Amino acid sequence: MTGIKQVRLSGFGGQGVVLAGLLLGQAGVFDGKYISGSNSYGAQARGSGCKSEIVFSDGPVDFPHLTTADILIAMSQGAYNSYCGDVREESGLILYDQGLVTPKENLRVRHLGIPATDVSVKRLKNKQAANIVFLGVLIEATRIVSPGAIRKAISTHVSERFRSLNLKALRTGMELGRKAHG
Amino acid sequence: MASRWVKSPFPKGTYYFSGNEAAAEGAIAAGCRFYAGYPITPSSELMERMAVRLNEIGGVFIQMEDEIASISAVIGASWAGARAMTATSGPGFSLMQESIGYAAFTETPCVIIDVQRAGPCTGQATKVGSGDIMQAKWGSHGDYQVIALSPWSSQEMYDLTLRAFNLSEQYRVPAMVMADEAIGHLRETIRVAAKVEVWDRKKKKGGAPFDIEGEDGVPPMPSFGEGERLSVTGSTHDAYGFRKTDDPKAHARLVERINKKILNHKRSIIETEDYLLEDAEMAVVAYGFTARTSLYAVKRMRKDGTKVGMLRLKTLWPFPDEAVAEIGKKVKKIIVPEMNLGQVAGEVKKYVPCDVISLSQTNGEVIQPDTIMEMLRKI
Repeated sequence: MTGIKQVRLSGFGGQGVVLAGLLLGQAGVFDGKYISGSNSYGAQARGSGCKSEIVFSDGPVDFPHLTTADILIAMSQGAYNSYCGDVREESGLILYDQGLVTPKENLRVRHLGIPATDVSVKRLKNKQAANIVFLGVLIEATRIVSPGAIRKAISTHVSERFRSLNLKALRTGMELGRKAHG
Repeated sequence: MASRWVKSPFPKGTYYFSGNEAAAEGAIAAGCRFYAGYPITPSSELMERMAVRLNEIGGVFIQMEDEIASISAVIGASWAGARAMTATSGPGFSLMQESIGYAAFTETPCVIIDVQRAGPCTGQATKVGSGDIMQAKWGSHGDYQVIALSPWSSQEMYDLTLRAFNLSEQYRVPAMVMADEAIGHLRETIRVAAKVEVWDRKKKKGGAPFDIEGEDGVPPMPSFGEGERLSVTGSTHDAYGFRKTDDPKAHARLVERINKKILNHKRSIIETEDYLLEDAEMAVVAYGFTARTSLYAVKRMRKDGTKVGMLRLKTLWPFPDEAVAEIGKKVKKIIVPEMNLGQVAGEVKKYVPCDVISLSQTNGEVIQPDTIMEMLRKI
């Protein structure tokens, strides 16, 4: 059971939570990890609360769904409220969207506030890129997957039309991550 | 009749596939070149991928008007020589039952993937269940056999779909992959080998297509267009396909043979896996997604000193009676967690003298490890 990391990405349907989860899992596969990924399915993935969960492991995974999150990405207040209590105390990490989420004060989990949507709108001129900004921050802060693997995952799964935007969002996120983490 | 090794149509490597996508690749690897289906949640991604892949490699893909037409088209394609399949979920699986009986009685190789959802009826379309296990075996009328496999990972959606095709071709029988929503949508690391083993259906010029040829009870199967005189009927028939609807001997002989050709080979068809059972006093018997939960729970309980193990059923039909009976001799209690009201638990009870406890859950969600651990502590 050693070497298992569990990541939950959450937000509204439409923010790209499912795509971000797909890219993160794919990057893990490129890095040679055993990955089990699952996400919201049905109406919830298209408007209301939405999540994507990835289990990273060095060996085969027994129970493939998330049990306790090591890392939570919260892109909406609703998602934060639903899942902030289910992050591993002390060693856990919560990344939240500064402009959209007001964090609770009494949690014994490290928090990093990221202006992901703000940066996405102002710097990248597209509010849809906040999910990838978060991935950049996550990778810079945790190295859960390698930067090369996530770039390859973007090239594999994102259509050519949006590829450069997403790669730029990744770079932007990694810069933010360096500052926030640094 | 023999198997051969062929180059995998999908490049050797490691991929991140959902179970549904992996099953489509497994089918392609097995040589499937015909798909007819009607899209249904939660199996639709499988059909979507088949549409893309069959177009790429030059197979035939048809979206039919419903599931009755889909399975019928698959049976027709099989008699034209193709390895053919369809995929569906509970409501569509119900519609297919009449033709599954036809396929069993006419000994037509075909593969049906059922990505089970919470039934009965239309139930909860996007939610998980495994309530179709008994239907897989008993859904059509009369006495017949099918083969039904139970994948527990994306990897096995690939592997067992490939195996389903091979068993189907080898024994001329409908083979089913009884997946569920959680496995169909689970994305995992899967490995594709450079070569895959593929079985071909038996051929014999002038051979009787509906009677015993050799000891395995599986007759050779000509295709339409090969020059053989061929009649295929769902009514009782003789060795050459002539209707024998008044002949008691012909009926008994045919019904017995299509059952025996599977049951006599159940040892090569059935696959099970033992986990931590050597010194176990309790056993969990599980299949599909729930076996993943069970293994997690069993390992946790072992850490606390509980002598518990797991028997995993990779094959559901023919039922692994011998493996279950063997465990029943060793342990005092068996629990069977499943996402239905005890379909397999009832089957387990037939073969063991010890207590069998059914842990049922039918709320459209997967069983959590805690639920199984709680039950193990209680007993």
